[in-house]
Amino acid sequence: MKKDSPQMQQEQDRKTAEATAAADTAYDALSASPSRTLLGDAWHRLRKNRLAIVAIIWIIVMVIAAVTADLWVPQRFGDPITINTQTLTADRLLPPQLAHPFGTDDLGRDVFARVVYGARFSLAVGLIATAISIVIGLVLGALGGYYGGFTDTLIMRTADVFFAFPYTLFAIALVAVLGPGFINVFIAIGVLGWPSIARVFRSSIFSVKSQDYVQAARALGASDIRIMSRHIMPNSVAPIIVYGTMSIGGAILTEAALSFLGMGIQPPTPSWGYMINASTKFMTTAPWLMLWPGFAILTTVLSFVLLGDGLRDALDVKMKD
Amino acid sequence: MATDLLVVEDLKMYFHTRDGVVKAVDGVSYTLNKGETIGVVGESGSGKSVTAMTMMRLIPMPPGKVEGGDVRFNGESLLTLPEDKMRAIRGNRIAMIFQDPMTSLNPVYRVGHQLAEPLMLHKNLSKAEAWKRATELLEMVGIPHPESRVKDYPHQFSGGMRQRVMIAMALACDPDILIADEPTTALDVTIQAQILELMQELQQRTGSAIIMITHDLGVVADMADRILVMYAGKAVEYGTVDEVFYSPSHPYTWGLIDSLPRHDMTEKGELCPIKGQPPSLIQVPSGCSFHPRCPYAKDRCRTEIPASRTIDGSHVAACHFAGDPGFTRTEMACAGVNVG
Repeated sequence: MKKDSPQMQQEQDRKTAEATAAADTAYDALSASPSRTLLGDAWHRLRKNRLAIVAIIWIIVMVIAAVTADLWVPQRFGDPITINTQTLTADRLLPPQLAHPFGTDDLGRDVFARVVYGARFSLAVGLIATAISIVIGLVLGALGGYYGGFTDTLIMRTADVFFAFPYTLFAIALVAVLGPGFINVFIAIGVLGWPSIARVFRSSIFSVKSQDYVQAARALGASDIRIMSRHIMPNSVAPIIVYGTMSIGGAILTEAALSFLGMGIQPPTPSWGYMINASTKFMTTAPWLMLWPGFAILTTVLSFVLLGDGLRDALDVKMKD
Repeated sequence: MATDLLVVEDLKMYFHTRDGVVKAVDGVSYTLNKGETIGVVGESGSGKSVTAMTMMRLIPMPPGKVEGGDVRFNGESLLTLPEDKMRAIRGNRIAMIFQDPMTSLNPVYRVGHQLAEPLMLHKNLSKAEAWKRATELLEMVGIPHPESRVKDYPHQFSGGMRQRVMIAMALACDPDILIADEPTTALDVTIQAQILELMQELQQRTGSAIIMITHDLGVVADMADRILVMYAGKAVEYGTVDEVFYSPSHPYTWGLIDSLPRHDMTEKGELCPIKGQPPSLIQVPSGCSFHPRCPYAKDRCRTEIPASRTIDGSHVAACHFAGDPGFTRTEMACAGVNVG
């Protein structure tokens, strides 16, 4: 019987080891999918959305072209702003050809060069004006959503006042007061965009605020600011990313409308909206003049909207693949 | 007394709503000593959680308002403490475990980050130290492979594991009191037992006092030293586990015990639920708030609010007849309630 005891002990050990090994295998199987970050997951889902990828590529191409324009556009296609009086008559209203892929305008300037330079302003307006809207909207939406009560009422009724005015008319009125020009267009579009952002963010905060983990963070002794910035913000910011991306497109469109009406950037600086305005006179004789800036506006706005759409699906945590 | 860690004295928390005043907690008293466990039991809406949330000052005010009473922690009133001092107590000296582990962890942060948060908030640990401690905490609550699991997100954990993480978070700063608000309600039965066992084990190691809020008498029978039975915002019976289980004195406690399945029941034997619904806390019944559902109710119960009667020692029950020699639970009470 003395022999049995160590044997039994061994048997026991072996069983324990087997059980541990089995548990390990089970664990490994469970954790087979690598631990990705939330953004990694989002990118993984976004990559599967072909339209969104096309949109991203198009936006990148536009941004690169706009940023590097000084390096290659004037050399290859001529100055987009100054009018060469010597060659003016010969170069007027040329249809698309190898030297001028988009043709030339009534002042003999290369349309391609002007579209590329116009992208600078349009993209800048889209990004900066939306950034202004988001900053104002996030702060006001956060205040309203987190504190509720009177603060919330005050902010949301102010937003309602903004909503009560027709958007484009309001923008025109603001630019008319501030005076047309680069900075003023940014300000006008940026200031007008905040109410929607604030509203989206506020409602998103309202739903996150009542989540158990916010209560749990409070029970752990986190301060208001910490709860707001570390627990509520990251969970409610996804709709803002989506909405913000889409409103870049909206801002570009508004800028084009303002420029078309002569309230945006002033000629001779190229701007898509103004180019369309100027080309209406030649609609029948040189239709490409309005086609190219129109195409540029369409594709850019569409790209931002499609990207926003893709982000909406990608950032949805409930969509697990 | 030096041993009284927490004293709740005649606490009243009312909610002032559009429909009227909700008396969620209406005069609750108990004391908690170091390392002790108190079980707070009662139906949904009886004010168990609100009592705990009030002492943590987690009730939004308004609509909530403390209408009277006091909560003293180590002799210091928690209800009048400035907010920054209160924050230093929350999560540090008094920590809380929530009911639903599925929603109580922030989905955008790694588990380690969330475990490290209280340590960085209260113990001034550096990020690296806090993460190291987070790994130890995960190991302490029995999660395999803590070094790699600490970097996982909450959605990669199962419900039982998440509750373990919640416990680890609550115990991160070695709190004096751990408030567990129905910690096992959202878990299945086998995991429930594991979690309760874990809590008991950790209590022995850390010496924390536990306030266990539950609607399951079975949960507290095992763990608690004392039991507080609540009904409609009031404490109806309070005593040691043995007193409450072996000589329950309030008809509501009888009802709770009778509604549990028992070993000696026949297969077809019916459970004896307490008839009716808990009352609206806006219009609490006159007299004893339990009288509409009480099979023993007399005229006096409808008009007169019962005072707490001492049965013996610390055992008290808020019933006009509690402790009277002739007032005992009849075996027929169940059938009598059930008929019809």
